[in-house]
Amino acid sequence: MDNYLIVASMIFCIGALGVIIRKNLIVIFMSLELMFNAANLGFVAASNRLNLISGDIFVIFVIVVAAAEAAIALGIAIAFYREKGTVDIDMANELKN
Amino acid sequence: MEALFYVFSFIAIFSALMVVTMRNPLTSALYLVLCFFALAGFYVILDMQFLAAMQILVYAGAIMVLVVLVIMLLNISRIKNIKSDLHQKIIGVLISLILFAEIVLYIINGAQKRPSGIFTHALIKRIGNTQVIGEFLFTGYILPFEIASILLFVAIIGAYLFAKKKF
Repeated sequence: MDNYLIVASMIFCIGALGVIIRKNLIVIFMSLELMFNAANLGFVAASNRLNLISGDIFVIFVIVVAAAEAAIALGIAIAFYREKGTVDIDMANELKN
Repeated sequence: MEALFYVFSFIAIFSALMVVTMRNPLTSALYLVLCFFALAGFYVILDMQFLAAMQILVYAGAIMVLVVLVIMLLNISRIKNIKSDLHQKIIGVLISLILFAEIVLYIINGAQKRPSGIFTHALIKRIGNTQVIGEFLFTGYILPFEIASILLFVAIIGAYLFAKKKF
């Protein structure tokens, strides 16, 4: 189980890295999906080790939330692109001044 | 099983790194699909074939097709050249390395819990993992299941509102 958790934490940290260093809205969204999946792997590995089934049920709910989030996030990306002509998140600065 | 674990973890971590570092978002999306397939392989090793199928159907099938569709709707030559600053990269690498070190320290030093449930490998194999998940989902977790349907409904309305011309 430790090996699975270490792989999951590695993928999670790579996803966090992507969220921090990239400025493309769509790549940031994909890094978020990566983090979701790392959490899923942790859930499945832990519930496999502890002989439980709750972790596997949680994974299904996480997938549902990720699907809803994908619809909303891509809607935001399209609206943003229509407004600005790019998906660079540095252009989202209306609240700055 | 051990060899398969290392193969899948290599593919997953390599493709995750490629998702983050590739300049073209379409390449990132295809590497992300590869990463999802490797994670589905982990679920098969862990005796959850139903979740592996869900992973491929919903993530690699539905969500990634949506992402690729949106990338192709946008002008790809204009969104390819979005560069990030150097100090942003340095801070990001530092933060994620520290986070990884903390998580690994916690995993190694944390108290190991004993297996407490009744769903051993043999039991799940005897009943079948789809039936176990279905029974739990529709008995103990029926309220979250219904709330998930409301969430999906709200997401449909939200996506419609965002994609409209004017708010």
